[in-house]
Amino acid sequence: MRSFSEYNPIAVTVWFFSVTGIAMFSSYPLLMVMSLVGGAVFFTVRNGFSRGREHIFFWVLFLILALANPLISHNGKTVLFVMNHNPVTLEAALYGLNSAAMIVGVLYWFRSFTQIMTSEKLLYVTGALSPKLSLILSMALRFVPLFSRQSAKINSAQKAMGLYKDDNIIDDIKGKSRVFSILVTWALENGIITADSMEARGFGTHRRTQLRRFGFRAADIALLAASLALLGVTAAAVGSGSLDFMFYPSVSTAVPDKLGKAGLIAYGALIMLPIIIETEVSLRWRYLRSGI
Amino acid sequence: MEILAVRDLTFTYPECGSPAVKNVSFSLERGEFAVLCGATGSGKSTLLRMLKRELTPVGDMRGSVSFCGTPLAELDNITSASATGFVMQNPEQQTVTDKVWHELAFGLENLGTPPDEISRRIAEMASYFGIGEWYDKNVSELSGGQKQLLNLAAVLVMQPQLLILDEPTAQLDPIAAADFTATLKRLCQDFSVTIIMAEHRLEDVVPVCDRLLVMEKGSLIASAPPAEVISGLKGRSDILCGMPAAARVYAGLGGMGRCPLTVREGRAFIESGYGNSARALPLREHGHSDETALEYKNVYFRYERNGRDILDGLSLKVYSGELFCILGGNGSGKTTALSAAAGLLRAYSGSIRVFGKRLKDYRNRSLYRDCLAMLPQDVQTVFLKNTVRAELDECGARTDELPYDISHLMDKHPYDLSGGEQQLVALAKVLAAKPKLLLLDEPTKGLDAAAKLNMIKVLRSLREKGITVVTVTHDVEFAAAFSDRCAMFFGGRIVSVGEPREFFTKNSFYTTAVSRMTRGYYDNAVTVEDAVELCSSNGRKEC
Repeated sequence: MRSFSEYNPIAVTVWFFSVTGIAMFSSYPLLMVMSLVGGAVFFTVRNGFSRGREHIFFWVLFLILALANPLISHNGKTVLFVMNHNPVTLEAALYGLNSAAMIVGVLYWFRSFTQIMTSEKLLYVTGALSPKLSLILSMALRFVPLFSRQSAKINSAQKAMGLYKDDNIIDDIKGKSRVFSILVTWALENGIITADSMEARGFGTHRRTQLRRFGFRAADIALLAASLALLGVTAAAVGSGSLDFMFYPSVSTAVPDKLGKAGLIAYGALIMLPIIIETEVSLRWRYLRSGI
Repeated sequence: MEILAVRDLTFTYPECGSPAVKNVSFSLERGEFAVLCGATGSGKSTLLRMLKRELTPVGDMRGSVSFCGTPLAELDNITSASATGFVMQNPEQQTVTDKVWHELAFGLENLGTPPDEISRRIAEMASYFGIGEWYDKNVSELSGGQKQLLNLAAVLVMQPQLLILDEPTAQLDPIAAADFTATLKRLCQDFSVTIIMAEHRLEDVVPVCDRLLVMEKGSLIASAPPAEVISGLKGRSDILCGMPAAARVYAGLGGMGRCPLTVREGRAFIESGYGNSARALPLREHGHSDETALEYKNVYFRYERNGRDILDGLSLKVYSGELFCILGGNGSGKTTALSAAAGLLRAYSGSIRVFGKRLKDYRNRSLYRDCLAMLPQDVQTVFLKNTVRAELDECGARTDELPYDISHLMDKHPYDLSGGEQQLVALAKVLAAKPKLLLLDEPTKGLDAAAKLNMIKVLRSLREKGITVVTVTHDVEFAAAFSDRCAMFFGGRIVSVGEPREFFTKNSFYTTAVSRMTRGYYDNAVTVEDAVELCSSNGRKEC
């Protein structure tokens, strides 16, 4: 009984990149709408209505992107009106809307992705590519906050010793630059001890393995297979040109053939996968609980 | 079975005239717990590093070190990495990764252990150490004591037969240090791991160890069970100053019979050997001046709006010219109180006055000019330059005005100094601002016993100069030895204040070893000197 975010990180990553990859490499408006709506709904379902600020940010960005294109690009046949001697065209406006939907949709997906992929899931996924890369990432994740904490400590120590004599900006900047230079020394010093500790524990004696905290269960494999299959169908539809859409010089589209329709349905199903999983989990849980 | 054998080991660092380790020979049997002590700079760390091939420093080495009969140089890489574990002093710097579970897995991952085997071994280790609860945490969220236990566990998953520890408890508070020592003892008994540990906090560890090795200027001058070593060295107060209080009382009284090591043995030693017709030492009247140097009045502080109050109605007066000491456990808010007085944190209610003037009335950072200075817990954060000389020149410190001598350190890098030397240089830097009120946060952290004694002298001479010193510390022995008044901090406020002799006699758990040893027999012995004075004035019992 796992919710979607608890599935094997590799399966989840593949799913995420399938959804966003299609959105990024296609320009078919219906796909863009599906991605945008799907991304927004997925984010809202995960977070409830608590992230108002982020929603506002995404939609303001959407407006700016949608409006910017017709103001800058003057391609297209159908002139809506003329502003400052420049024609504003219907095609450019539609293109703006379409690309705004693509960008904001992808941003929504990635926002959810960063929430789901905690640092250890990220390590697991990079570890599958290379254990060394994963170790470097893990050390960086430790070191960056460590550096900023030490910097704060040095600053307050220096303040209480009167390093910053006057309350003015120039003095502050001078003080901060001195703190930065010793921080570099400190980091190197620290690095030597860490390196000793690594060597003492056998770093470099053998090819590294990696502890796997996530296994592949049947459901993970099913998710992975479903994602790849649906991706394949959609990618075939996009790649074969049956989902081509031209904005310039005038809006024109091929009527989707069978492959195109299959691609649209497959993409819809791909986006629905987490919702299907969540529904299945909650139904099963309700059934199991009724037996307790 | 002989696990480790060191024969005639001599080691000289490059471009150094005299060897850092001279003709050292000893051997350790399986399951032996050995403690290596000696003053800072006596070669302890160098010797320990020679015992682990990966950490052996570069230099001229003679003699031999062998592990289970094989010379270190001939061991294969994997045995050498896994069969001896090494734990260093600083808990933070020796961790490699960001997560607790990853740190535990790190060593095994390096050796190419299959993932399922790694899972099993770290699950075992986490259960044995009770790490389960913080298994998924970030390393940075752990306390110092937890970090050091993690470092120990991360070495133990590789199933070493020999554990080498270089001052592992120096950066820990006393409770965490005692826990750590108890864990080592348990490892030694449950798994017959052989342990060699350099340490200068000897109070907890000497009573439980099997062998005490003493180093002086690179040579091993003693290697025997602790009681014998102390009897043999009872004239050497410079070496004994870090030993358990019972042993120092024994040595102070001339050392008759078997040497006591624990509080229990110490009590038996005093009660059987000395009378108690004179029960108490005269109480010193502590006359303080009327001027207040630092005053807290109903101070409340919290870090987060919805957090809990860290300072919870703190009220306290420190008089001018006093050596005032604030004691308390971890997380009781001592350091927060000090930072609030230094103006680094702002209390949301109540007032803090420094020399009668409210903190917020010190405008334009005038608080830090000729008035108040604070020395933080981590003294490394004080240094900004590459030599001590540049450090002192920068803030205009004059070495000839200091109550101590640091002229021999002038050309060294501040990070290369020992803990005690760093503390003195940092203090010199702080004193350059000519503060009238000095705030010290854990000034004895990581210091050896001799450096602590020196620190006490320095603080006394600062008082002679009219400087008020407020010290926050865990170290009850240190507080008892130097302060004019002590206060106990608990739950965000002061719960008791008093002159040390009275303060520590009233406390029955949070008090010095001597006070626990003589409770009910003498009335107010707090320090080793007190006990020695009382015992000798009563004279030896005829038996």
